[in-house]
Amino acid sequence: MAVQRTSVWKTIALYVGLTAAAIVVLFPFFWMVVTAFKEPGQAFSTELFPTGPTISNFKRVLGDFGFGRYFVNSVIVATTAAAFATLFASLAGYVFAKKQFFMRDRLFGLLLLSLMIPGMMYVVPQFAIITKLGWMNTYKAMIIPHLANVFGLFLMRQYMLTIPSELIEAAEMDGASERQVFTTIMVPLSIPIIATLFLLTFQFHWNNFLWQLIVTNVERLYTVPVGLAMFKSAHEELYTLKMAGSCISILPIAVLFFFAQRYFIEGMTMGAVKE
Amino acid sequence: MSERGTGGGEARAGRSWSLTKHARDNLTAYTFLAPFLIIFLVFLVYPVVYSLYLAMHQVPADSFDVFGGLQFVGFKNFIKLFTDVKFWWSVAMTLYYAVLIIPAGIAASLTLALLLNNRLKAVAVYRSAFFLPYVLDMLVVGIVWTLIYSPHVGILVQFFESIGITAFTEKGFLGMPGSAMPSVVFANVLKGAGFGMILYLSAIQNISPSLYEAAEIDGATPWQRFTRITLPLVKPITFFMVIIGTISALNAFVEVYAMTSGGPNVDVGGRALGATWVTGYYVFDAFYNQWRLGYASAMSYVLLALTVIVSLVNRKFLGSDNT
Repeated sequence: MAVQRTSVWKTIALYVGLTAAAIVVLFPFFWMVVTAFKEPGQAFSTELFPTGPTISNFKRVLGDFGFGRYFVNSVIVATTAAAFATLFASLAGYVFAKKQFFMRDRLFGLLLLSLMIPGMMYVVPQFAIITKLGWMNTYKAMIIPHLANVFGLFLMRQYMLTIPSELIEAAEMDGASERQVFTTIMVPLSIPIIATLFLLTFQFHWNNFLWQLIVTNVERLYTVPVGLAMFKSAHEELYTLKMAGSCISILPIAVLFFFAQRYFIEGMTMGAVKE
Repeated sequence: MSERGTGGGEARAGRSWSLTKHARDNLTAYTFLAPFLIIFLVFLVYPVVYSLYLAMHQVPADSFDVFGGLQFVGFKNFIKLFTDVKFWWSVAMTLYYAVLIIPAGIAASLTLALLLNNRLKAVAVYRSAFFLPYVLDMLVVGIVWTLIYSPHVGILVQFFESIGITAFTEKGFLGMPGSAMPSVVFANVLKGAGFGMILYLSAIQNISPSLYEAAEIDGATPWQRFTRITLPLVKPITFFMVIIGTISALNAFVEVYAMTSGGPNVDVGGRALGATWVTGYYVFDAFYNQWRLGYASAMSYVLLALTVIVSLVNRKFLGSDNT
């Protein structure tokens, strides 16, 4: 757009607009943090900053209400799942980008087609499969069914297509095995997309509330969102504690986003306009 | 896409042993694919088939052995579904959800993108701020909004009271049939706007500045420049926003679970129906609360059918416009 000479007034107006928009968009999170630091009795005071902020809410949810345990579960589930989902997607992305094989294009079409299926479709049959396998109330039930990340595979393939095939041919000429080609050429050259996919799958699994709710019914295995949902229905009125639990629930993703926002933004919007 | 180019290396690899090389290539390819494919087949393909099987069965009323005692009932679940007022209501609510979230989402995303499309120093900071809610958990966002929307003591109700509007005080924004769905959608739009914003922003930045310069010389007002240049040129993004808006309506669940549990009830011809009772929530309710696995499966099949129809319609639109 033509923005050669932005006048002072226009600049001010723009900053006012941007700031107003930011306040509206971020207000829920601001209010969550503020309420989490209030005394329970003050939960509904309209002061923008609590008088005498307290961390007792955090102490209580982490100690008395088991959020410490939930947090550990969430870390275990999200980290393991992200690591394997990223590994599987890079292995598969590599062959889709660089190999000719039987049914390749049809298979790829089928994979992309599956992206269309609504998530609710999977809830009942996946639950039935998990029950039949005897996996209810296990970490693997929370992790394994979502390790085939088709969108991730798509991102990997698109990225790896841009790596020159000559590099692979040269390495093969020098006698490198398939495994060596993958680990010494493809992986090092794909670090940005690997990091992106790891973050996206970590975020997905951290927020994968519905599935984690369905396959766990013992408190020892609750993840933070499941614990939060259970807490919500059991203690509807304990607002300050609920907000403290909410803070704990989104903190890791917010921190990751703070340090790696470029990866998040690019990864999430990359596949969108392509095709 | 350069699919053709990648196979060249193999083709040059000599004729005499091309068959063995071919077989070996397939073997390595499928070895690399194996972990992904196995999970894909077991947990993403098989369930779609299995779901149809479940849709043709039901858990007998007196049975606790959910999967051992499944009874074959043929198309009974589907037939029941088509005469289930609650189901058609849920389809209507899903549609209502879509009708609200699509224009609101487009307007919010486009506004943010236009604000950001200026050479200001702090643009990157604002861009991050707008995008941040998109990566955060819908469940948490929903729970926080229930606090903000709550009756009597919620901050929004108190704010409205301070400017003289007391209509929401008694029941809160989520407790009234008229405002419940718009409130759920509003929370979701604010959370998701950053995503559409990035798409619009990159589309707007791809528009050649000379177009605007020429329009300015011809005396076009800023509004004319927006409606005649910007809007038509970001149309592909707008179409995409319509698709994802529809899909998010068909998948709507967590926001409803967190904020309203499908309620509040409206009286429709003597029946109590939920003002936010979307199909995604009904599937969950039939499965998780009522334990009607077959019925929930049948419903999810209708959801799939709706999704396919929407995609086909969209593809038709996109196909004629995008190229």
